[in-house]
Amino acid sequence: MPVEVIMPKVDMDMASGKILAWHVSAGDEVSKGDPLFDIETDKAAMEVESPGDGILRFPVDEGAVVQIGRPVGWIYADGEVASDPPGGIPSSKDEFRQSVPGEATADGSRNNISSGPDNISGKFRASPLARSLARADGFEIATIVGTGPRGRIEAKDVRNYQARRESEADTSDALAVSESASGTGTPIILLHGFASDAKSWTRLESNLGQRPLVRMELPGHGRSQILKAVGFPDLAATVRQTFDGLNLDKAHLIGHSLGGALLLDLANARPDLVASLTLIAPAGLGPEINGELLAGILRATRSESLGPWLKKLVADESLVTESYVQAAMRDRMEQSTRAAQEAMADALFPDGVQAFDLRAALARVEVPTRILWGKQDRMIQWNHALRAPGRVAIHLLDGIGHMPQIEAPEEVARIIEANL
Amino acid sequence: MSGRSERVRGKLSYAEAIREALDIAMDRDERVVLMGEDIGVYGGAFQVTGDLFGKYGPERVIDTPISELGGAGVAIGAAMTGLRPVFEFQFSDFAALAMEQIVNQAAKLRYMLGGAVSVPVVMRFPAGSGTGAAAQHSQSIEAWLGHVPGLKVVQPSTPEDAKGLLLSAIEDPDPVMIFEHKLLYKTKGHVPRGHYETPIGEAALRRIGHSLTIVATSIMARKSLSAAEELARQGIHADVIDLRSIRPIDRETVLASVRKTGRLMCVYEGVKTLGIGAEISAMVAESDAFDFLEAPIVRLGGAECPIPYNPELEKSVVPQEPDILEAARNLVQGRI
Amino acid sequence: MASSNMPYAVRAYERRRLADALRKMILIRKFEEAAEASYMRGLIHGTMHLSIGQEASAVGSCMSLEERDKITSTHRGHGHCLARGADLGRMFAEFFGKETGYCRGRGGSMHIADVERGNLGANGIVGGGLPIAVGSALSAKRLGTGAVTVCFFGDGANNEGAFHESLNMAAIWKLPVVFVCENNLYGMSMSTDRSTAVGNISERAAAYSMPGATVDGNDFSAVAEAVDAAVARARAGEGPSLVENMTYRLRGHSRSDRNRYRTKQEIDDWAKRDPITRLFGMLVSHGVMAEGDMAELDGDAARKIDDALAFAASSPDPKVEEAAFYVYAGSGAR
Ligand SMILES: Cc1ncc(C[n+]2csc(CCOP(=O)(O)OP(=O)(O)O)c2C)c(N)n1
Ligand SMILES: [Mg+2]
Repeated sequence: MPVEVIMPKVDMDMASGKILAWHVSAGDEVSKGDPLFDIETDKAAMEVESPGDGILRFPVDEGAVVQIGRPVGWIYADGEVASDPPGGIPSSKDEFRQSVPGEATADGSRNNISSGPDNISGKFRASPLARSLARADGFEIATIVGTGPRGRIEAKDVRNYQARRESEADTSDALAVSESASGTGTPIILLHGFASDAKSWTRLESNLGQRPLVRMELPGHGRSQILKAVGFPDLAATVRQTFDGLNLDKAHLIGHSLGGALLLDLANARPDLVASLTLIAPAGLGPEINGELLAGILRATRSESLGPWLKKLVADESLVTESYVQAAMRDRMEQSTRAAQEAMADALFPDGVQAFDLRAALARVEVPTRILWGKQDRMIQWNHALRAPGRVAIHLLDGIGHMPQIEAPEEVARIIEANL
Repeated sequence: MSGRSERVRGKLSYAEAIREALDIAMDRDERVVLMGEDIGVYGGAFQVTGDLFGKYGPERVIDTPISELGGAGVAIGAAMTGLRPVFEFQFSDFAALAMEQIVNQAAKLRYMLGGAVSVPVVMRFPAGSGTGAAAQHSQSIEAWLGHVPGLKVVQPSTPEDAKGLLLSAIEDPDPVMIFEHKLLYKTKGHVPRGHYETPIGEAALRRIGHSLTIVATSIMARKSLSAAEELARQGIHADVIDLRSIRPIDRETVLASVRKTGRLMCVYEGVKTLGIGAEISAMVAESDAFDFLEAPIVRLGGAECPIPYNPELEKSVVPQEPDILEAARNLVQGRI
Repeated sequence: MASSNMPYAVRAYERRRLADALRKMILIRKFEEAAEASYMRGLIHGTMHLSIGQEASAVGSCMSLEERDKITSTHRGHGHCLARGADLGRMFAEFFGKETGYCRGRGGSMHIADVERGNLGANGIVGGGLPIAVGSALSAKRLGTGAVTVCFFGDGANNEGAFHESLNMAAIWKLPVVFVCENNLYGMSMSTDRSTAVGNISERAAAYSMPGATVDGNDFSAVAEAVDAAVARARAGEGPSLVENMTYRLRGHSRSDRNRYRTKQEIDDWAKRDPITRLFGMLVSHGVMAEGDMAELDGDAARKIDDALAFAASSPDPKVEEAAFYVYAGSGAR
């Protein structure tokens, strides 16, 4: 029998927990005591260790909310056949206590929505349509996380899963990566922000000395392909996948804006592989973002309309020269690029709000971490930095906007260098 | 070409439409007789037969004593032997007194006699709550009779269908039970002139949408339609199916809609448990349309209690428009 | 002898009881008039059936009933209920659908019962009370309580199968039940001439081997005499009887009746035989009451009714959440 991996109760009044990230994937081998996954509860976030040795199978998706005591995956012994997730006996009898149909209820209610347990061990709530879609496609519905009531897997979850799988399939080396020619020591990974690309690091790079640099580019940005799935969890998974593909022992992470949020997520998922984390004006620490400014950049189809918006990204607008704007516009000339970025903005920043929240992840990251922020940032307010836990260093740069790595590269480099 | 007067005819009430159907049927077929309590000079408890007594006289508009079991049985016997009786129950609740003749005789005679007889009787049942008549005069018992093979059971919700289904019923060689919600009698609508038949066993798709399927009967079809208008303003578009006939049931119309919308809600006034909603739900669950369901099925039906007298209580025990709205929103917006 | 010419009632009852009977009949009349007024002002839901003109039948039939005795009533049952001493306030409260009503607002006029006073309930089903009355008599006999059940029903009900089945069973088992048919000439629009094969419904008693009598139902004394005898017979274990009180409802069948099946003349003629006027006249002529007493009786009844209406109007409605209470034992307070 496979070993059941359950959502543990780690807090007195905890009813359910959210799977933040798996440290291993389905099919990977784990040993008892290995970090297996991270959970988040109302109050706390913590790492859960593997309860046994073997192969992880049927892990529920990251982001799923699971009732305590319910399985989130199974560990199979080597060679043990795993065609279906094992059924199980619900741990509480209450789930099967149902009201007698037709019983006159004392309160006279009649149209009460039927309720039931959120989950039953080994059983999955899925709409019949979702099941038939999965059946037609030949995969096990249990591999999907449901977003419907009580975690029901609905048709849209299946379709999203199919889309994600496809996009993963055709971008197996998902993100474009460029590496500096030379360098020694622990490499630095750079990830730019939304509607930007790896070129935005050029000024900073020349101040960073001799370390190997690895620049990733977001999907639909720079030389990366366009991905169909564009939500934050998808992006984070792609970044993880790209990072894993690099096979580094350790890396320093430097991310800007959306790139900051994604590297923060990576640091949380791969704590042992990260040496330090530098977040420049990162997203993910609060809901506010300048939606108008985002929309303005996305909408622009020529340099005349792009220029005024780009100027708002910096404090000293003279930095945004005509040739800078023209170069930026050249990168955005492709209609498909703009459409891809627009779809991404719609998923990440619907109605001008940051749809993801990484404060809990930041609270968990233990590697040396610092945040740099320009006090004149008009895209994301610097005071989001104040939500970081005390151990995170905060550097606030006066007279600087949303792009410190361009506006004050020496200063930024000094701060980073001092801590590498 | 139809004349001008043909086109300018105003709307008829549901009761008037039934009376017109009776009049047409009596006029074209001598065998049609009406039977029931106080249907003669009184005009019927709900004034449905009205002045037909004046027109056709006591030989064809027959007041019975207060004898439901006997009266219904006499109509059945007469139907077996050449007449085409239309029997009016004063309230559908009194069918309980005549169950023997309806269930053991009318429904089964053709079968028991190996097809040797027909029982072309029509029975009309004023049904439903909302009049303050309390527990013994307000029930919706159509599902009781819907459970009996040999009977046909219909529930028109519009004046046009009230006439068309009654005319079909009179022509039908088998016993047809017609449930008429009392609150519908005064509702008005366009009614085609002359003789026409609305087929028994065909549902009517009254409104086309894609967000959910509402299958409703009788007055609940009206309430559901009106709720659907409001839902449309909120971006929820319902297919509204007026079932019209509960035996036989129009399976295909329901299944086709559910395949399209993936969400099913049944709305009916009869007691929720073991009622029409159970049948519709099971029908879907047993069919391929099951594979198109995206959410649990919702039934809105009467509470598990008799109809109370107090007006607020009375309203609270049968589905009302706000209940339909709320349930539809919950269903579509993924709250169940 | 003068005394032998005296009406039964004057011979049989003390003055106080006679005055009480008259007071009850007046109360029933005023009560129904007030109910009618409330109905017309929209304070009462649904429908209601008034027994105005039939008060002597209700009160006269209950004269020899004791506390342990039972009655079953009909849709036209306000008089029966009040004849057994029901509380006016709780009756009005029921009409108004209030929690303080006899049925906690769930039954309304057509289902009023006062089980504590032996009234097993009005009935929405014509003939519905007949078998129940026989059942009540069966348990009285088996349990040896000595209780008699008076079963009220209308002329219309005598054509339901339940009537015939009930009389037969009461007779074969010699049960202590008195069937009181209030023949007001019509079952809704259908006159007994048209609905019933026999001239007098009491003739049907013969088919079930029990005594049958037809009396002037608007004559309090005649009603009391016939029913008292039947009750005595029942109590003595001699079995059931059928008494037919010939009476008349001065109002329509229900509030929506347009009286198309009877004439104005007929109604007026019966109005002249008003049972209350007749009883009062009799009591005056036998010195039980004085001419001037009527005003006081009227005033008395009016005051009681005002108080009862006030009680009903200020009572709370039942809670919507409690609509399904009382469906089964154990739900709701009792
Ligand atoms: C079984 C049944 N059939 C019909 C009715 C409708 N209905 C109510 S009262 C009534 C007339 C009853 O006549 P009768 O028994 O003479 O009593 P009355 O109204 O004259 O007091 C009728 C037909 C009913 N309530 N129950
Ligand atoms: Mg009568």
